Amino acid sequence: MITFKLNGKKVQGEEGQYILQVAEKYGVDIPTLCHHKALEPAGMCRLCTVELFDGRRSRFVTACNYPIWEGMEITTDSESVHAGRKLIVELLLAKCPDVPMLKKLAEQYGIDKPRFKTEGDDCILCGLCVRMCERMGNSAISLTGRGVEMKVDTPYHLQSDVCMACGACASVCPTGHITLEKINEQITSRQDVKPIPSEYDMGLKGRKPVYVPYPQAVPNTPVIDRDVCVHFKTGGCKVCTEFCGVDAIDHSMEDEIVELEVGSIILAPGFEPFDPSKFDTYNYANHPNVITSMEMERVLSASGPTEGHLVRPSDHKEPKKIAWFQCVGSRDLNRCDNSYCSSVCCMYAIKEAVIAKEHAGDDLECTIFYMDMRTHGKDFERFYDKAKEIGVRFIRSRVHTIDPVVGSDDLAVRYVTEAGELQNETFDQIVLSIGLQTNPETVALAEKLGIELTEGNFCKTETFEPVETSQKGIYVCGAFQGPKDIPQSVIDASAAAASAGAALSTARNTRTLTPEVVPETNVFGERPRIGVFVCRCGINIAGVVDVPAVRDYAATLPYVEYFSDNLYSCSQDTQETMSQIIKQHNLNRVVVAACTPKTHEPLFQETLINAGLNKYLFEMCNIRNQDSWVHKNNPDLATEKAKDLVRMAVSKVALMQPLEEAELQVHQTAMVIGGGIAGMSAAVTLAQQGYETHIVEKGDALGGQALNLYKTIAGEDVQEKLSGLIDEINQNEKVQVHLNTELKNVEGFVGNFKSTLAADGGESELEHGVAVVATGGSALKPQEYHYGEDPRILTSLELDRKFMDKDPGLKELNSAVFIQCVGSRDQDRPYCSRVCCTHSIDNALELKKTQPEINVYILYRDIRTYGEREYIYREAREKGIIFIRYSLEDKPVVDLSGGNITITVTDHVLGRPLEIATDLVTLASAVVPNKDEALANFFKVPLNDDGFFVEKHAKLGPSEFATDGVFLCGLAHYPKPIDESVVQGRAAASRAVTLLARETIHTSGTVAETVPMNCSSCAVCISVCPYSAPSFIEEGPFTGKAQINPVLCKGCGLCVASCRSGAIKLKGFDNDQIFAQIYAMNEAV
Amino acid sequence: MSEWEPKIVSFLCNWCSYGAADLAGVSRMQYPSNIRVIRIPCTGRMSPKFALAALREGADGVWVSG
Amino acid sequence: MGIEPDRIHYSWISSAESTKFVEVVKEVTEKVKALGPNQHFAKHEAKVA
Repeated sequence: MITFKLNGKKVQGEEGQYILQVAEKYGVDIPTLCHHKALEPAGMCRLCTVELFDGRRSRFVTACNYPIWEGMEITTDSESVHAGRKLIVELLLAKCPDVPMLKKLAEQYGIDKPRFKTEGDDCILCGLCVRMCERMGNSAISLTGRGVEMKVDTPYHLQSDVCMACGACASVCPTGHITLEKINEQITSRQDVKPIPSEYDMGLKGRKPVYVPYPQAVPNTPVIDRDVCVHFKTGGCKVCTEFCGVDAIDHSMEDEIVELEVGSIILAPGFEPFDPSKFDTYNYANHPNVITSMEMERVLSASGPTEGHLVRPSDHKEPKKIAWFQCVGSRDLNRCDNSYCSSVCCMYAIKEAVIAKEHAGDDLECTIFYMDMRTHGKDFERFYDKAKEIGVRFIRSRVHTIDPVVGSDDLAVRYVTEAGELQNETFDQIVLSIGLQTNPETVALAEKLGIELTEGNFCKTETFEPVETSQKGIYVCGAFQGPKDIPQSVIDASAAAASAGAALSTARNTRTLTPEVVPETNVFGERPRIGVFVCRCGINIAGVVDVPAVRDYAATLPYVEYFSDNLYSCSQDTQETMSQIIKQHNLNRVVVAACTPKTHEPLFQETLINAGLNKYLFEMCNIRNQDSWVHKNNPDLATEKAKDLVRMAVSKVALMQPLEEAELQVHQTAMVIGGGIAGMSAAVTLAQQGYETHIVEKGDALGGQALNLYKTIAGEDVQEKLSGLIDEINQNEKVQVHLNTELKNVEGFVGNFKSTLAADGGESELEHGVAVVATGGSALKPQEYHYGEDPRILTSLELDRKFMDKDPGLKELNSAVFIQCVGSRDQDRPYCSRVCCTHSIDNALELKKTQPEINVYILYRDIRTYGEREYIYREAREKGIIFIRYSLEDKPVVDLSGGNITITVTDHVLGRPLEIATDLVTLASAVVPNKDEALANFFKVPLNDDGFFVEKHAKLGPSEFATDGVFLCGLAHYPKPIDESVVQGRAAASRAVTLLARETIHTSGTVAETVPMNCSSCAVCISVCPYSAPSFIEEGPFTGKAQINPVLCKGCGLCVASCRSGAIKLKGFDNDQIFAQIYAMNEAV
Repeated sequence: MSEWEPKIVSFLCNWCSYGAADLAGVSRMQYPSNIRVIRIPCTGRMSPKFALAALREGADGVWVSG
Repeated sequence: MGIEPDRIHYSWISSAESTKFVEVVKEVTEKVKALGPNQHFAKHEAKVA
């Protein structure tokens, strides 16, 4: 150890260290331009000059390469040091007067203009590039020449093949003298040097060879890209190891082959976006302003290359007109092999258009060119309607060519309108809505595993076994099973987990590792030390609320010891940072100002637990759902409100105390309400996992709506499959079926429900830990098209019945008409019933099969044969089935006069009314839910305006409710075909098993507690509590006073408010805490 | 100040109105920014003392919603 | 106690009724606004100080 004085203070350093290194350790700032931690110091720029006193006299030395010695005295900031540095900066500025970094430095030193003759150079000869190139193991460049002739150059000033174009020189150049372009043009002899494209940002941005694949990657650890890392080419570099503080980088690591013994395999390889480069006419490969929808996603994202600022690539101008082209790489056999529909593109294009308008303002013109608008998902039709309302233009036309406009960066398209007119239009930018396809590597994997694929290279599955591959024990979920969106993928995933787990249920918990529990810090009696984290939520909050102002305001509040803002507080990396901050700053209370506690409180509480804090020392304030989103047009008021809410939360959290949670047994029984396909699938899955399950069915038979269905599009006989499933239920000892049974009442809560079942005039009680709602739906009885007045006018299900009964009349038909969207996508029911297009087309084909001479017409608004259902649409057209489009304003008219059925419809091609005489009219009537308000009340679960149940989260929690222990599947969630009902039944069961398998759960700590001393034994609490939590203490010193059972208590606070003695406290929501919020509300800002 | 704006303290039930308020946000509905929400576990928790305290502290209105 | 009835509002909204929530917020805000500032019941800062 060497001890010396640095600016009068005693400091210590190791033998062989330089002044600069020690100064850095002690936080003393010495400016330098030529120093790099990983390189040997060279003393080139002289800016790090400091004053050295050796005991007798002072002199100037460069801190970067002057070794320390015992007893020396260093001054880094004296008058003369400053004057010396000023002169150096002035000289450098004279050499390179236009370098921004030097100009800024000059400004700091008070230099307006150098007194010396300026040279227009931009290299300060710091030599960083040369030293870095040497470190890379290349030495392609060197300082050549002497004196004023000195410069950085390659040997003989020739482009060198030694240079690998790694860009390291450019990355360390402080002045911008070396750039990628310069490397390209003057240094390397390699061709076309480009930054490494960031896969995450779809190549719109570069990335480094050491990188984190994307911000929310799990694990959130950087990786080294061996294909581009210089070390793996020359053996040099390893600069990263010098910067890693924990020696985590090991360049000698090799790939390992790990063998795992598993009982089942789930395939979730996903899809790859279609590459439109091969479509020459779209100019995607040549024109920067033709981008893919995936690139658009990144452009619109707050974490994207432009931070959500909408600009077009060619000139970074804000586009005024954007067009989306649908079905690029989907529904196309001419230009590519993907004849299926990719299912998700219509919806994402609308979403992108709406978000683009949100980002860029109303004057942005968004146009979507499409063939059929397929918004068949839950609440999607409403979103489509809303998009039309806010001015997104929808044009039904498939455009074939994009022409660059000569002399500008704009793009011209020619298209034919619905009326048949040819139009020319120019756009600033065009987004290609590219489809989904299976990666060739996945196809190879499937081959290796011996898994059958479909025509479109998706994994082949059966309708009643939608997650089983053709190989036993191998399951599939997500877009490899067929193109699908997030909710459907999440449902698949839960179902695949259940199926894979069913075979392994006996092995449950045999290889479980218990996570390490961070011991809880005792904060009792400590002064509050509050940390406030304000979330930007991308632009969701920060786009309206002035987040830095709220953060800085939080700093002024009492007891606040730490404050910051996060881009996304809920991301895993931020979570880890937060828990470190809590530990580092010894915080004992935390406030997060972000979205809603209803969805994110548990996540942040987990962060507290990981930091060793009791999770109740936390308060969230809702500055997104209840602020930025609802006061979009009033940023100032929203910011004020956010400040108020933060102040209220801070004053409440200061009074929070650590709370304990009671443990609760989970009753190992499940109740499934509804005995249709979804309910039965859920029940079978639960039973397979080893849980006793009760199906409660109102009707007198199992089967639900499937009893009315003839066959699936794959040709499977529904009744045969259905009776197989019913047999399985009946034979399964773990499943009990209660037919003709109604649910009369439900008491209790997650893990401990008590339901009253009524059947045959009697009532029985069922105790269960979880409940699955599978109450289903039914076909709408049409009120139009003369339904019910003529036996030749049927619903789709009635036609299925005729097929099942092998009705001989079907062979006699000459003409049949299907009318789509009967009761769907209108004012009363603004949703798409999802199944009807496929059903009608399949039935039309069946009619053709029964009677090949028949003329079949399908009158539709948009054909929505999503995914590989598209094949039957293609087949139907090939077989001569005629499709005629109508609009909601101009519906077909059914005329019954003269005993004949005549339908008049305006032909969309001719634009003229067309009369069709027919023998059969099939109405594709809407799927309507069995809206069950009583059930909704029993379990406190919401229904939407259409009568479908509202799931916990549209994307991430589609098969469960926000109410713990209650799950959802089938038509009660949204209209869906059999395969999707089976999948969701299994998914709901899968989610339920995650709860049942825990066996015990912890109740909330926010429960009521009595102070027996103050209790007057009036028994009001006992009489008001709906959960029977309070009772009288039966022995001990407080006999006769009230007590509260924390397991039964739901923390509603009814007893607290009604206790006239003030003897009951509600932990977490106590009087003090609520008063604190009230008082805080009125404090002057 | 162009126009006087009242300050309203609202006590919202965590399970009902608070959820509705969140949903209003998700649906991007717009409403006046005068309310300051205090989340309570249930309207059963509501005590007249809270309403009086809020008014005494200068709130111009109190809204309790279950 | 001299508090105007319109200062205190009570409503019942289910968690799915966001539309109703917004309606009630607007209604409550308007009614309270119509009453003007709460001067009667609020403690007067000046007297305290």
